[in-house]
Amino acid sequence: MEKIAILRMEGTNCEYESYLAFKRLDAQPEYVHLKELERKKKNLEEYDCVFIPGGFSAGDYVRGGAIFAARLKASIFKDLKKFVENGYPVVGICNGFQVLIELGMLPALYGISEQPEACLTTNDSNRFECRQTLIRHERSVCKLTKNIKVGKICSIPVAHAEGKLVFKDEEYAEEVNEKQVVFRYVDIEGKEAGYPWNPNGSYKNIAGICNNEGNVLGMMPHPERAFHKWQNGDGKEIFEGILNYIRSIC
Amino acid sequence: MNKLFVKDGYIYRIDLLNASDDELLNISKSMGLALNLEEMKRIREYFKKLGRLPSDLELEALAQSWSEHCCYKSSKYFLKQYIYNIAKEKIIAREDAGVMEFDDKHYYVVALESHNHPSAIEPYGGAATGIGGILRDVLCMGAQPIALIDPLFFGELNVRYESLPKGIKHPRYLFKRVVEGIRDYGNRVGIPTVAGQVYFHNSYIGNCLVNVGCVGIVKKDKLVHSRVKKPGDILVYAGGKTGRDGIHGVTFASEELKEESEEKSITAVQLGDPITKEPLIHACLECNEKGLIEGMKDMGGGGLSCVCSEIAYEAGYGTEVYLEKVPLREEDMKPWEIWVSESQERMLLVVKEENLKEVLKIFEEWDVEAVPIGKVIEEPIIRIYYKNQIVGELDLRFQVGALEYRREWIKPKGREREDIDFEMPDLQSTLLKILSSYNVCSREWVIRQYDFEVRGSTVIKPLQGNIEMQSHSDAVVIKPLEDSFKGLAITTDINPYYTSLNPYHGTCSAIDEACRNLAAVGARISSFADCLNFGNPEKPERMGEFVYCLKALHDMASVLDVPFVSGNVSFYNESTIGSVAPTPTIMAIGIVKDVRKCATIDFKKEENPIYLIGETKKEMGGSEYYKLLGINAGRVPRSDAKVLKNSMEKVVRAIEDGIIASCHDISNGGLAVTLAEMVIAGKGAEICLYSIPNLRTDFKLFSESNTRWVVEVNKEKEEEFRKLFEDIPTYKIGIVKGKGLVIYDGDEMKKYVDLDKKELYESWNNRLWKEMG
Repeated sequence: MEKIAILRMEGTNCEYESYLAFKRLDAQPEYVHLKELERKKKNLEEYDCVFIPGGFSAGDYVRGGAIFAARLKASIFKDLKKFVENGYPVVGICNGFQVLIELGMLPALYGISEQPEACLTTNDSNRFECRQTLIRHERSVCKLTKNIKVGKICSIPVAHAEGKLVFKDEEYAEEVNEKQVVFRYVDIEGKEAGYPWNPNGSYKNIAGICNNEGNVLGMMPHPERAFHKWQNGDGKEIFEGILNYIRSIC
Repeated sequence: MNKLFVKDGYIYRIDLLNASDDELLNISKSMGLALNLEEMKRIREYFKKLGRLPSDLELEALAQSWSEHCCYKSSKYFLKQYIYNIAKEKIIAREDAGVMEFDDKHYYVVALESHNHPSAIEPYGGAATGIGGILRDVLCMGAQPIALIDPLFFGELNVRYESLPKGIKHPRYLFKRVVEGIRDYGNRVGIPTVAGQVYFHNSYIGNCLVNVGCVGIVKKDKLVHSRVKKPGDILVYAGGKTGRDGIHGVTFASEELKEESEEKSITAVQLGDPITKEPLIHACLECNEKGLIEGMKDMGGGGLSCVCSEIAYEAGYGTEVYLEKVPLREEDMKPWEIWVSESQERMLLVVKEENLKEVLKIFEEWDVEAVPIGKVIEEPIIRIYYKNQIVGELDLRFQVGALEYRREWIKPKGREREDIDFEMPDLQSTLLKILSSYNVCSREWVIRQYDFEVRGSTVIKPLQGNIEMQSHSDAVVIKPLEDSFKGLAITTDINPYYTSLNPYHGTCSAIDEACRNLAAVGARISSFADCLNFGNPEKPERMGEFVYCLKALHDMASVLDVPFVSGNVSFYNESTIGSVAPTPTIMAIGIVKDVRKCATIDFKKEENPIYLIGETKKEMGGSEYYKLLGINAGRVPRSDAKVLKNSMEKVVRAIEDGIIASCHDISNGGLAVTLAEMVIAGKGAEICLYSIPNLRTDFKLFSESNTRWVVEVNKEKEEEFRKLFEDIPTYKIGIVKGKGLVIYDGDEMKKYVDLDKKELYESWNNRLWKEMG
């Protein structure tokens, strides 16, 4: 069974539904508190996937994900790096996406970067936005979403104040845009449109990206909140994709 | 005065025994006790018998326990008389929160209370700590919080600055900051804020109301009570440190707001910290899951003083507390300050001695401070030590059990006036104006700032329809358990325009609306919670309003056979410009058999017939229509609980049986607004009002009569629908068609309304966005 580390610290708050999503697909999720890793009570090597759920880690009073990332960097960064370089999947949703960006693990156009090369900044509306979005699955190097057809439009909600993806420069942005964009916000006809379809003003309507190797995925929408059909969502497929990938490498 | 204060070690003793009446009152005032002369005399008698002088800490402790906020001295008598006995056998517990059965293995837990005074003074912090407090009320029953609810009441947003009395903040500022407070706390703590209401009425200009509710779920065998079990058990303090914030919160809440309230009472507002709260919730629930907790209570109003007293009194025991063990934020705090501070994010756990070590270890793992601070003793007294000095010792029967008033009241003045004749205005422009009025327009500006989906169990969301244009749902539905499709539906209601005209019938209408909101999603009413916000109870007319509201709650709920499982009374909601409208906020909780069958409001399928359920009468008092026309006449809608009970059951059954494709209740703004909202969220409708008898077209459209719904019936099930509703008046009023709302009436089928969905949406949606930005 695939062992999933659901990483958390104070202020992480989507761990419960993320845990359930993996559980429903017969994987073996486990809550792992940052402190347990810092104190070496648990070790990343024991897991097949690291999943960083949404929330307001440490309150996010500085910048989304900044403190969580700083603490990871100060403690188990080497292990996490090795984990990624060995091809294991790392997924960040919402606050988890912010953490991965802060860590330089995304977009990681030329591999994990020392400094963040992108930023998830304040929404154009300057407000927290909780709303349903439609995201189109794009052709990319992502290995975790192979089960989802390219072009498919998935219905998955967002809830964040800092989700506008911007990059360090235009050239860099274009390169990421070309091959590492996994999901884009679209309207009901599948076309790229402005607000409210794109809830945050993200560059080229980007909702989710992967790293250059395709095994790290970050996205703002919350698939764990749209797992079931009666939730009117397509989140289940995202989790299935992650598990498919694990099976293919293990 | 000072000669009456005598230093004794770490405390002062106050010479009540030799104080004159004036001096007694002065002591109460200068210490901020908010106790009246009679109460001060009573305290003097008590200490005379003991033959000693009270300490500052003891007087403070009594002031906390005897505050209106803590002991309900003005309301208890009436609450017992009117509502405590309704459907009592269905209530599992009524403590810090109410407990009801959810299914064979689970209870659901409900709490609803006010956080009005702090929010009027410091809206951001006040609203945030309101959320914090209500979460702890649910948590201390051992329950996992699953939903937050926030009914809010402000003055109208366009009130002129110059017209505001001194010391009063503009409603726009209050509204904005309250919503931000709820957002920043609720979103961070990871519990979805799913429901509530925002009401604008100018009686709230001087004293806005912030009510907060929470619902939780707990396994039956894990329910914890807010009382100790047996002597020898240890009291464990857990959570944030104690500081000087929130001193005198409850005594300040038991007085009217004055011009200087902000300067004087800002220290009475607590500071919230969701990032301490979040692990505190985890740690408490983990201890509970492992069966390590004997009793638990949250430190809210009155702080340690009230908690350590009440938790023992409820079981007939007492407690001993060692104050120097309490973790402090500021080292030089005096014993009495530690004792009554209302610092947030603190819980008191009662733990068996043999479990203490394990409990402390769990808290340590969550990085949450937890220390033993005292123990349960046999005698019903509370004894407080500070560094080996006894700084207070009170008989709990005197402190907690003593006070109850039978306040004078008079029948509230009827403010309804006889209806008048007038010419019918243009209905299309009237509809658009009503759609954009403060109390009808879209609440999207508020709702989207709240995370209403965290925990992934919000099935029926507060906004519905397609992504581009969404409209309000009647109630939200949460699916609390992973392995069951059973759901909990939640709604809150009160219309202060009705209650200010007629407290009794206005309150009946609130119950009616709450019930029909639940029915509209397919939920059966299970319990009510009531947050009763009124003016100064020492004024007989205010007290009369309170009593008449209670009578209404009694009359409705007895017929429905539904208990009030939680609630609070908030008096003194008065400022220099008068009292708030009687505001008995009703929260209703319903149970859904299968969340997959819930109905939503959006019109779904072309050609499906549309029916109006229930009788439309000319009940225009307090209506949006009359408000718009500036007419102050008419009577407020009446409600018949028997008809309501029967109608609700039929609506729910029709939803369960898949007869109804969409459903929406009729409330503010009447039938026209209901139809507009259903069109905004879904497909268009062509309506003919001809079948509704004996009313002028405008009254058909804008009457706010109770116990009515609009339903879209699945075409192939129309016969079934008719049969089911045989004994209830229903009217076929049109079909689902097109992309807008078209309304005809009269023998000649005159077209009164022809509006595109987008026009409807813009009128309805833009108001708050424009004014709040």
